[in-house]
Amino acid sequence: MSTEGPGSPTAPGSPDRLYILTGGQARAERKTELDLVTLIVSRSEADPGLQPEHAAIVRMCAYPLSVAEISAYLELPVSTLTLLLTELVAGRHVEARPPVPAAALPDVQLLEAVMNGLQKL
Amino acid sequence: MVGTGSSVQRRPVSALIWLISPLVLAVCTGTAILAAAPDARVPVAWCGSSATVAVALASSEAARRGRVIAALRRRCTEQEAGLRYQLDQHEAETRRLAKELLPRAIHLLQRGAPTEVVLRHTLPVHDLEPGYAAAHRSVLKSVIEAVQAEEGLRDAAQRAFVNIARRMQAIVHQQAYDIREMEHKHGNDPDVFGDLLHLDHGNALTGRLADSIAVLGGSRPGRQWKNEIPLYNVLRGAMSRILEYRRVDLHSVADVAVVGPAVEPVIHALAELLDNATRYSPPQTRVHLTAVDIQSGIAVEIEDAGVGLTDEARRRTDRVLSREGDLDLDDLGEAPRLGLAVVSRLARTYNLLVSLRPSAYGGVRAVLVIPMDLITASKHPGGDIARAAKLPPIKSKRRPGQKIPPPAPQTAPPMMEHPIPPPLGDSGLPQRRRRRGPAPLPFGRGAAERRERPAPPAAPAAPEEAPKQPGMWLAAFNRGINGESLEPDPGRANSDIPSDKEE
Repeated sequence: MSTEGPGSPTAPGSPDRLYILTGGQARAERKTELDLVTLIVSRSEADPGLQPEHAAIVRMCAYPLSVAEISAYLELPVSTLTLLLTELVAGRHVEARPPVPAAALPDVQLLEAVMNGLQKL
Repeated sequence: MVGTGSSVQRRPVSALIWLISPLVLAVCTGTAILAAAPDARVPVAWCGSSATVAVALASSEAARRGRVIAALRRRCTEQEAGLRYQLDQHEAETRRLAKELLPRAIHLLQRGAPTEVVLRHTLPVHDLEPGYAAAHRSVLKSVIEAVQAEEGLRDAAQRAFVNIARRMQAIVHQQAYDIREMEHKHGNDPDVFGDLLHLDHGNALTGRLADSIAVLGGSRPGRQWKNEIPLYNVLRGAMSRILEYRRVDLHSVADVAVVGPAVEPVIHALAELLDNATRYSPPQTRVHLTAVDIQSGIAVEIEDAGVGLTDEARRRTDRVLSREGDLDLDDLGEAPRLGLAVVSRLARTYNLLVSLRPSAYGGVRAVLVIPMDLITASKHPGGDIARAAKLPPIKSKRRPGQKIPPPAPQTAPPMMEHPIPPPLGDSGLPQRRRRRGPAPLPFGRGAAERRERPAPPAAPAAPEEAPKQPGMWLAAFNRGINGESLEPDPGRANSDIPSDKEE
């Protein structure tokens, strides 16, 4: 994005580099629970004082989006995004909700049986 | 014996003077003849007349010689005047050669004029004798040739520099491109990702150096941008090219964009100024970067809390920044002045105004004014990333009429939608499974009327939905279990479940 091959002298994109977005960090200082399927939802409207990336995430996450989706939409690597999200979570702009663990889900066949039973009522 | 020359007043006098002695002698002879005894008169007359004749001859000879001498003197004076005139002309021509012709010739040569044109522009004005004029021409010609050879050498050296810089830029660009690919590829692995960021940064620094060499060689810096770039991204682009970008605080930035052709020069000039600011201030201090609207354009200010400029240093920087004409490579010295020379050259080429003044913090305040004609309205404040912020509507375009579903359908409902539910994947990505199920439906039956429904009406519903999010999945789950139609609930009219009902 920020660069192009030597073949094309002009290219769209942005002159930013990824390390600028996160101040050169590659991982958060404190351990975060964010992973690809963590759902992110904003707690407030985008604050005009926010960095554009932060504001973008806050605006996007008016509806919950997974980290993987945000990463795909913003075309940002997950590590960078995780740092941005960590900052946002720390600033209480967004809320992170871990997905329902697979083990906690009720058995599908049981649910189906219940559903069929209810429909037969 | 009357003079016929030009000097009328002197001639007759001198001629008359020569007449006096024969006349006096003749009178004396006559007197002597009369006074002598009659028998001695004949010899006296003989002697007297022969003496008179001799004196007359001598006098006439003297007068003739006098005339010759006068003529000679006259000719000598004329010759002397002629020579003096020539000497004056030569002197004037030589002076003109030194003061006018050579500077003009060198100026013309530096602007790339060929030898013939230069010689035609430096013709002598006085009509000189051919030999002297030829010598003059040959002096001029040999000087011109020497200067031309020197200029050629310099041009060749500059071209070589620019050529090397271009190759370096190409490699750096390719490398940056590769690194960016790798950053996306290894985005999940913080260790590799951190190393890649480190490499990316080093690569950006190398690129700036290559750009500097290209600029000093008289070329343009680096890549060219086709579209305008928001000033915010331009400033961050400049920050990304210096070693200590972490110390730069980016404050308020005017919401404008820089036109494509000026992006790279502005980034490069700002990067050099930022580099100076961070390099010459203590490592624990911050450097403040702001961009404000002014009458004539946008003023970008870089303020550091360093040692500031001494008077001598300020004079020197002013001299470097305001230097007209070509850069003297001898003048550059060590690295810091190299940066200023680059800034100065970029500023001259792109009409940027640069000034370094003492800062209120004691350091230096560098102001770079980007003129109005290089500024345009910003289409996407914040650049690509901010544009990406509008992506959720794009998503709803992909699935017309559907809002981004609340989390409940992402977990529980999928399990029930499938007659034979697929086993839960070990990757733990339930929402992907959900998509595989209901996603194609809106494009099939019953999708047409939903597609008619414009996306914007769905958008205002978003904020009022958001606060309920945390508990909603349970409600949806319950409703799903109850099998009730969800149509009455306007907020959820478009969710996945009704589309299942229609099936």
